[in-house]
Amino acid sequence: MTLEHTTRVQEHIGDPVSAGAPVERAKLEQIFQDIQSDLRFDHMLNGCLNCGICTATCPSAQYYDYSPREIVQLLWTENLEGIYDAMQEKIWACAQCYTCAARCPFGNSPGGLVMLMREAAIKHGMESAKNVLRPFSRVMLKLISTGNQLSPDMISKDAFPDWGPNISKVSAPLETLRKAIPVPTLHTTKTAWEVNLKTSVELYTIWEETGVINSLKAIDPNLFDVIRDIMDDKRDELSEWQEEQAQD
Amino acid sequence: MSKPVLIVGGGPAGLAAAHALTQAGERVVLLEKTSGLGGAPIISGYAKLVPSGEWARDAIGGMVRRVREEQLATVHLGTTVKAFAGTPGNFTAELSNGAAVEAGAAILCTGFTHFDSLNKPEWGFGTFPDVVTTAQVEQMISSGKGVYCPSNGRKPQRVAILLCVGSRDRQIGRPWCSKICCTVSANIAMEIREQLPECHVYIYYMDIRTFGLYETKYYWRSQEEFKIKYIKARIAEVTSDGEKLIVKGEDTLVKRPISIPFDLVVHAIGMDPNVDNKLIAETFGVALEPHGYLERGNSYGNTAETSRAGVFVAGAATGPESIDDSIAQGYAAAMRALALARPVRVSA
Repeated sequence: MTLEHTTRVQEHIGDPVSAGAPVERAKLEQIFQDIQSDLRFDHMLNGCLNCGICTATCPSAQYYDYSPREIVQLLWTENLEGIYDAMQEKIWACAQCYTCAARCPFGNSPGGLVMLMREAAIKHGMESAKNVLRPFSRVMLKLISTGNQLSPDMISKDAFPDWGPNISKVSAPLETLRKAIPVPTLHTTKTAWEVNLKTSVELYTIWEETGVINSLKAIDPNLFDVIRDIMDDKRDELSEWQEEQAQD
Repeated sequence: MSKPVLIVGGGPAGLAAAHALTQAGERVVLLEKTSGLGGAPIISGYAKLVPSGEWARDAIGGMVRRVREEQLATVHLGTTVKAFAGTPGNFTAELSNGAAVEAGAAILCTGFTHFDSLNKPEWGFGTFPDVVTTAQVEQMISSGKGVYCPSNGRKPQRVAILLCVGSRDRQIGRPWCSKICCTVSANIAMEIREQLPECHVYIYYMDIRTFGLYETKYYWRSQEEFKIKYIKARIAEVTSDGEKLIVKGEDTLVKRPISIPFDLVVHAIGMDPNVDNKLIAETFGVALEPHGYLERGNSYGNTAETSRAGVFVAGAATGPESIDDSIAQGYAAAMRALALARPVRVSA
């Protein structure tokens, strides 16, 4: 907006004539369509009287500018700008505890609706989704390629600077440390348990078929490239092994 | 002489039906499963009734006396029906006291059951002694003791009334509106303020349904004359800090969750179908509607019908109902039974 003489009101709401909508209407509609067409949507939203029991019971609402009632109202009233706005930040404050769903007298699930909005935010590659998921790239790498979320080799000085001086203790040889644990640890360090090559490839195929890999591509292209290379190698390895087996 | 009419239930509807039929010269057999007549207003000790403001013991007590003194009415207390058979004009009922009754028609005035607040444990009933129900507050008032906190007998300075306890709640399978609780709560709130002018009374609601003319007399009057504060919020939890009750809700106006201390929390309990309805339906061969109330056979053109000819119904047996409407339905059902007892039509 380049008006020279702006009023205070114009500063806040923009010039209704020259300033276009920040996001095209078609995109807002597409995002809402994606949320609403999910088969879970009609089970999670049955109506809303604004009673506020969800927000009253919500642990996140105690600490953040987040209200499950507001989320439900935005969807119920089909407030497309408001939905888009909430997807920028608010929906990421939900802890997915579903206390709201346990309390709602209508049987709505505000937490479930938040999940649908998060999925739409990822699908549309929204910045908010990228920012939220960025710290989890190591976890996603491990999860998508092996099915394990955490493994011993992820505990490193660089990854946990906030652990203070104690982190040096885990810098010792991991295999030795694992063996020192009295309960069985399977002696693995790259995964939490032994992951079969075939299992790993099958899991990756599931991620592909269910659209998770496409979501990853939208959110983090670099991570997508890395994971694709790893999985291409694993697939080659598996088919070589299978050929060997067939020859024997 | 035609056979008597069997009336099941001695609450407002049953008393009205009995009065109407005996006034018309018909004999009635009135059964009541508890040890006294009067129904919920008497047995649960209601105080001043909506809409007249008369005490329940005067208003309904008068109806009880009238039937008690009536020669044509036979009353069996502590009695239920074990078996019921026959056709219109020709029914037989076997009673739990061993007696058998021949009846031309039957009127079911079996009423409702107060919602048990233990089914909403997050609202503190049964956990904290100062969480009570509207029925208990009615008893405090009608007993003459006045409103107090059961934990130590002190007079409350801050009272919260929570609406829709056991109503409009799919979480616990009670989606219906109990119809009378908003009005009753406004009535109780005004009575509390009348007794304790220093006491602040808050009503937490999601809708206010002081239907019809009650809007003026209860909704507006409670705010304008009695300064009752209505807050649009459904309470999430009632806890305690050891001294006061802590009510957790959302102030939906400023959009923030809030915790507020109270001395007394009152559940505006709803009306459940009579707990015996399945047995009643089975015994009398009448249908229940999906919520568990007795099904009405006809909404227009005729009234007081069940799914079985000659078996009529009145009052809160068919769904949440007010006392005065239950009484009106009792008279209407009596008219149906009377028409059955005297089928002679005088042609012009």
